[in-house]
Amino acid sequence: MNAPIRAIGTAAPRVDADLKVTGAARYTVDIALPRMLHAKVLRSAHAHARVAHVDARKAAAMPGVAAVVTRDDLKGLNPTYGYFIKDQPIVALDKVRYIGDMVAAVAAETEEQAVRALEAIEVRYEPLRTVATIEDALAPDAPALFETPAPGIVPAYGTGASGFRDPAKNVCYRFCYTHGDPAAFARADHVFKDEFRFSRMQHFHLEPFVTLARVEGGQIELWSSCQNPFPLRKELARVFDHPEQNIRVHVPFIGAGYGAKNNCKTEPIAVLLAKMTGRPVRFCMTMEENFLTQSQHAAILRLETGVSKDGRFVARRSEILLDAGAYSDASPLVAEKAGYRINGPYRWEHIDSRCDCVMTNTTPAGPFRGFGGTQASWASESQIDMIARRLGMDPVALRKKNLLKLHEAYVPGESGMDSDLVEGLDLVCREIGYGRGEKTKGRGIGIAIGFKDSGGVNKPAEAQVKATTTGGVIVNCGTAEIGQGIQTAFTRVVAEFFACPAERVSYAPINTDVTPFDQGTNASSAIVVMGQALERAARDCIARILDFAAAQLKCKPGDLRLENWAVIRDNQAHPLAPLIMRHFGGTGFEFVGRGFFKPEIDHHAPLEAKCVSWEIGWGAAEVEVDEETGRVRVVKLVVSGDAGRAIHKDACRGQDEGAAMMGLGQALFETMRYEGPELVNIAAAKYRVPLASDLPETFHAVTQEQGHGPGPFGAKGMGEAGMLPVAAAIANAIEDAVGVRITSLPLSPEKVLAAIERKRSTS
Amino acid sequence: MSAPETIPITLTLNGRALRASVAPATMLADLLRDHCGLTGTKIGCDQATCGACTVLVSGAPTASCATFAWQTDGAAVTTIEGLAANGALDPVQEAFKAKSAFQCGYCTPGMILAAKALLAQHPSPDRAAIRDWMSANVCRCTGYQMIVEAVEDAARRMREAPR
Repeated sequence: MNAPIRAIGTAAPRVDADLKVTGAARYTVDIALPRMLHAKVLRSAHAHARVAHVDARKAAAMPGVAAVVTRDDLKGLNPTYGYFIKDQPIVALDKVRYIGDMVAAVAAETEEQAVRALEAIEVRYEPLRTVATIEDALAPDAPALFETPAPGIVPAYGTGASGFRDPAKNVCYRFCYTHGDPAAFARADHVFKDEFRFSRMQHFHLEPFVTLARVEGGQIELWSSCQNPFPLRKELARVFDHPEQNIRVHVPFIGAGYGAKNNCKTEPIAVLLAKMTGRPVRFCMTMEENFLTQSQHAAILRLETGVSKDGRFVARRSEILLDAGAYSDASPLVAEKAGYRINGPYRWEHIDSRCDCVMTNTTPAGPFRGFGGTQASWASESQIDMIARRLGMDPVALRKKNLLKLHEAYVPGESGMDSDLVEGLDLVCREIGYGRGEKTKGRGIGIAIGFKDSGGVNKPAEAQVKATTTGGVIVNCGTAEIGQGIQTAFTRVVAEFFACPAERVSYAPINTDVTPFDQGTNASSAIVVMGQALERAARDCIARILDFAAAQLKCKPGDLRLENWAVIRDNQAHPLAPLIMRHFGGTGFEFVGRGFFKPEIDHHAPLEAKCVSWEIGWGAAEVEVDEETGRVRVVKLVVSGDAGRAIHKDACRGQDEGAAMMGLGQALFETMRYEGPELVNIAAAKYRVPLASDLPETFHAVTQEQGHGPGPFGAKGMGEAGMLPVAAAIANAIEDAVGVRITSLPLSPEKVLAAIERKRSTS
Repeated sequence: MSAPETIPITLTLNGRALRASVAPATMLADLLRDHCGLTGTKIGCDQATCGACTVLVSGAPTASCATFAWQTDGAAVTTIEGLAANGALDPVQEAFKAKSAFQCGYCTPGMILAAKALLAQHPSPDRAAIRDWMSANVCRCTGYQMIVEAVEDAARRMREAPR
């Protein structure tokens, strides 16, 4: 017998390789339609102002201008959008709330004509006091960004968790989670209070936010860089009061997002202008506009942690303040995640977490790789190291004492860990040489464990698999190819079930009219949520094929198995194509299978459904600190994620390495710099992202395959985890090297040097 | 006398002669993408910083977003579409494919052309030289390590099978 055909875990190239190395891969930015217009928007130069007057008459008469949108054109629409809280207007209504807030839009024959027309729009602003930071926004006399609450709902929660709209001025959402008895604090031998600061990054996706929209015969059709086509369709239906069946969203290749491309960005303006002009409208932002559209959440995290004298974690009280920027976007969900993940993968008697979304007059913050877990891991893994040093314990030993065991529930009512945490910790310790070798002056090693739940919450997904007469297999599902390699992963998973070469399986383009429903490509959910739907769809399709073949061969389906587009019975292969054509005729047939997956609603689970999976990022860094300049050089960086089962090893490794370098940028230098409410390093040339020259001398990701994941063949989601431990691991390494602790990001030479000098002057 | 509205230029684009009349402000990237339909050249920052729009102008890696089209008059321009010959990938493309040195793929054409220019000058660069040279281009997805490995692999392929 031939060896079985293997599709997963092989070294074959990604399925999108040829398209991407030849420049043939098509992104939304590459699509043009005949008679297409170009949109540009007028942005506010004021951080906070009342919009007293907008007059676009001159602009509308400018050469090449087809339409202008101001607030006057929003009548009859539901003019605001947002994940939970619908507070962001298509263009400014009564106020502008940050520098860059969209005030008006123009569609013209060329981008240049659109830009010139914007200059002719007259706007009179009445400036208001601004709040640039979390502290500003929470000051008793701070001006309010919103005088009246915006419409929107709070998600349902189960045991121990709760959410509140507008609990205080300039706080749009509060998430709380608690379990156990607060009296536990009294049983702790030590209670350590520490505060951590987290600075914000820009996603810096190279493909901008872009939409091409047309409205013809009552049909809205758009091509978008949005990673969530179905929620986008629903949001547009609500905004335009347009039937969902007459909105069609296409999502071609996406030039990455790192979280940014989750919700409405360019789409409402493009659709509105297309509606007004009857012509296709392309709205493609510039990179500077990306900076004014979405960012990560800056944060202040205050942890109060009780431990026993032998290093057992007892209780933790956390207060997290996220800088949500001017509009809520996904902030409530990020707050939920930061507040829920702050205790890390450890055992506690009592937890009391609170996370507030604080509104400021800055770029709206939204989803960013790690989704609140990055902020939480930074603070928690820094503090655990600090506690170890205060207790005179080894930081790795302290972690091991408290880590949850494989399958142990995260908190009461939750699912269990689907990775062995100690196994991963031992691995990165080994890779970095932890505890080995002589201590060199100015050099240090730090370890951290990043942590998040993955797979989204209560997320449904549906997939379809169909097989043609000649054994071509087509995967049809709503997971967008955003760089992660999902086309490769899913076609291989299906090939493995079909026992056919991976080349026999293709991935259908996303079109919401025909693609089965998906909530979105996010939360490392594809392999564990859609992957389970897809596994069921593949099995369903194969069952139909075997049923058919069994009827033809007059046997039971259970006597047959599928291999290389033949059914095998008693070691005899019956090719399927002739069987199919004999029954259905020479034009053949298609077998279609469907699969659905959704976690069960569970009121005992804090988030109303048990988490599907847990994403762990183990990280270890070795640094060299120059005590004269404060400069930190990362000599060696190792990260490790657990793919459960790596469907494509290079894709897994690439995800973790990309995430780790993003974490390295965040740790050392990358930050959006605000002076008051003004973002001063807005251009690509001023905003420093990691380059190849920033690679540590030794750097790699180790993909674990522990095999406990809920996805096909034991797979788990990955790609965010590699980022989570990096900043804390580097801060921990700095303390190991020179005995100073930096609690705010980035770990700049100025901060490190100041801390070294403080230490010198006090010792 | 008023300035001419368009400038006639002749260049060699991916090995073929191209005659065009371009406005003085037309960028090379726009000529390639909008007029020639060669959308493999990507615009990222539009400020000659990120490297996504890199093409080769007479062999030199050049930011097409910051180069006027008329500046290429008389030059030979190579875009990502011009690398594969007779259906066979260039060794640099082969290496990026084999090493999965891409994710979203948006920076990939620029990365491949930057690597091509490096290897044309330095057939056997060491790792430090590769890191240094490739630092002209941003990749936000991969963390660069696999790109560096792909460039090493491409150098090996080109040494073993010179074209």
